[in-house]
Amino acid sequence: MKSPRFLLSLALMSLSTVAFAQTAPTPAPSEAQKSFDQLKTLAGTWTGPVTANPPQPDFGDKPLWLSMRVTSRGNAIVHEMKQPGTPDDPSKDDPITLLYVDNDRLTLTHYCDAGNRPRMVAKASPDGKRVEFDFVDVAGSTQYGHMHHAVFTVIDANHHTEDWTFMLPGDKHMQAHMDLQRAK
Amino acid sequence: MDREWNDSQPIYRQLRDRVVAMILDGVLKEGDPLPSVRNVAAEYRVNPLTVLKGYQQLVDEGLVETRRGRGMFINAGARNLLLQGERQKFLGEEWPRVYATIQRLGLKAEELLIAAANGPRSPDASQPKTAEPNSPESNFKEER
Repeated sequence: MKSPRFLLSLALMSLSTVAFAQTAPTPAPSEAQKSFDQLKTLAGTWTGPVTANPPQPDFGDKPLWLSMRVTSRGNAIVHEMKQPGTPDDPSKDDPITLLYVDNDRLTLTHYCDAGNRPRMVAKASPDGKRVEFDFVDVAGSTQYGHMHHAVFTVIDANHHTEDWTFMLPGDKHMQAHMDLQRAK
Repeated sequence: MDREWNDSQPIYRQLRDRVVAMILDGVLKEGDPLPSVRNVAAEYRVNPLTVLKGYQQLVDEGLVETRRGRGMFINAGARNLLLQGERQKFLGEEWPRVYATIQRLGLKAEELLIAAANGPRSPDASQPKTAEPNSPESNFKEER
């Protein structure tokens, strides 16, 4: 038979283990996770004018549509540049972008209609509102150019901007600035 | 312009190529305006960013210029620029193969000059050759 002293010490050890488990601090979310969570607030449908740099006349008259949705138990955001409700058509040129956290790096993979898949990684966001992605590498041929840079800027719950930079053959850059309002 | 796209190249590149073909064929002349990005995107049901990329490529190649507030126009000299490029492409890529064939067959310069003077047909006029359907010759004749 075990002594009362032994049983008491065993009970105390168990209690301290439970107490430790309850008070163990939850690790603070990484900068990448904070930025990812910020981008998750953009889930929904968006529309707005586009301006190009170098400027092209008559480009901003037609609003662009895009949608963002959080999927995979919150592990990925799907960004799609097409009007919602339009049927899927494999011959269409609407690109898809996936955003996810990969080893504490907020990463973006763009599935381009040019046939390649550039990967970009976000810089630390100084104000938590602007998330800027820099090119890392690309899978597939870049013969016809590739998407090279992206910036998401959250202005408020119903307003954000996106800047996408495409690199044409010959290393010529072309930028599209989208001023997007949440669609009602 | 054709509304069908193939899978061999991105749509923006095909759009660029179609404008180039229209310039070479004289459908679009120097100084002519390009249709607006908005109209092309709507008419051909492509993403406006695709049209933007195609047009920007034409600008980068010096074939098209942007006039502030007025639109995009075919540059003066665009056709010559394209012809120059196509000639260089022929001399660099196709001519070596043609030259090798000439050497292999032992054709003489005089024979080639006569053939060139006769145009794209059999050099031996006494033995007219009937082109088979869908052969390059028959397609060429149909085009004429």
